[in-house]
Amino acid sequence: MEMETRDNDVKRSSGQLESSPYINKIVAPGDIVLDLGQLSIPTLRLGGGLRQDQDLVIATKAGRLKFIKPNKVWVEGSQKRYIPSLDDVVIGLVVDRRSESFTVDIGGPVYASLSIFLFEGATRRNIPNLQAGSVLYMRVVKAHRDMTPEVSCVDAMGKASGFGQLKDGFVFQCSTGLARALLSRPTCPVLEALGKGLSFEIAVGVNGRVWVNGDSVSTIILVSNAIMNAEFLSAAQQQLMVQKLLQRVQ
Amino acid sequence: MKPQSSWAFNIDGAALFYAFSQQLLITFNFVENTIILAAVYGPKAISGRKENPECAIVEVIWKPKTGIAGSNEREAEFIVKRTLEHIILTAMHPNTAISVIIQVVNDDGGALACAMNAACAALVDAGVPLSGLIAAVTCAVDKEGMVFLDPMKKEEKDFRGHACLVFPGRPLAATSAASLAIDNEPIEHGIVSSVTKGALSADDYLNCLERGRAASAKIAEFARSSLERAQRGVEMVVAS
Repeated sequence: MEMETRDNDVKRSSGQLESSPYINKIVAPGDIVLDLGQLSIPTLRLGGGLRQDQDLVIATKAGRLKFIKPNKVWVEGSQKRYIPSLDDVVIGLVVDRRSESFTVDIGGPVYASLSIFLFEGATRRNIPNLQAGSVLYMRVVKAHRDMTPEVSCVDAMGKASGFGQLKDGFVFQCSTGLARALLSRPTCPVLEALGKGLSFEIAVGVNGRVWVNGDSVSTIILVSNAIMNAEFLSAAQQQLMVQKLLQRVQ
Repeated sequence: MKPQSSWAFNIDGAALFYAFSQQLLITFNFVENTIILAAVYGPKAISGRKENPECAIVEVIWKPKTGIAGSNEREAEFIVKRTLEHIILTAMHPNTAISVIIQVVNDDGGALACAMNAACAALVDAGVPLSGLIAAVTCAVDKEGMVFLDPMKKEEKDFRGHACLVFPGRPLAATSAASLAIDNEPIEHGIVSSVTKGALSADDYLNCLERGRAASAKIAEFARSSLERAQRGVEMVVAS
């Protein structure tokens, strides 16, 4: 269903999203990727990296133009810098404690704020005891460009669901593209290969932070190095790299 | 005008490196022997007085190869800043700053144009939202009225004047070119910045514009293919 040429002759397009010429291609900022006049979809949802200028949809970031039926389209690229957006799951470090909230570093342009009540079972008398430097697994509940982002350690129902403090372990940074790859299904080849040889725990934040915990320090170091090195390798190369690392340890 | 092969190797390579510190991106841009390194930091928070609640502040720092920065460097910073402000969508990140650091590794003429190209590529790699790409060229006119592209420093003495011209990049468009035209002129005829030094007649300048526009198409193409290669490299990790 993909458009075979990049001609400006858009009359050939059937009006569906899949047949737009730039879907699944790499686009650069300024590329006009969709013409709303040519599409027969009633509403279109634009994700990150796209903006609308009257009838045209224009890319603002470099990356691959992806879509999900029936009407969601976005640009997926990889950066070092994280820009907070709603419902993202992130790993943050507590920086400061104020009277009613914690200040948390999530790797974005500004620090986020975490209310002390957004923990499971938190009341005024029972405030979680987090020091500066504690690692937290959280979700973003408010992210608007004009306001300080807000995060939470509970899900919408008020239960912890895996959010909260991550004790022990080691946190390192990677690009947002690598973080998304680690979270994708089916499991990323490097994680699968490591899982066959070692036992470890891992938490990945889409803000480009990864937390690793294991029985021994050498396991943690090995896993962290393997993940950091896997960024530009293909699946086969990743497996080869992990095999070599495991051989050296055992 | 210099023969085709001579300006074709003006861009030997633009390498995109992911550097080690956070939100830093470095780009090399080779033009003959002019090498410029551009690094982008941001969007990042800034304190108090400088912050603008409506849009991001663009900061450019030009570091010369030797010596301390003087008024020439300040002028270059201002020109690069005004050009980049044209393409960066600053309204998307209010109360932040986007810093672009231009380090001159070697300057053999045409440094300003080189810096613009490097800064643009650095911004793309850092993920700063842009309204488009730019392609910059340096054109010089000699005493006979012939136009040369990317002059070297020692050649600059023989020239009547030279111009640094920045053109908008050529976007891919899913819509027909006619609908994109402004006042019946195709968007390829636009220009973002023009800095001239020396004495150029109106005809000289128009010649420069024409040659420069043709050259910028090649630069824009090269920038786009490097950008694609970089994004494709990142995707190798994804299993599917």
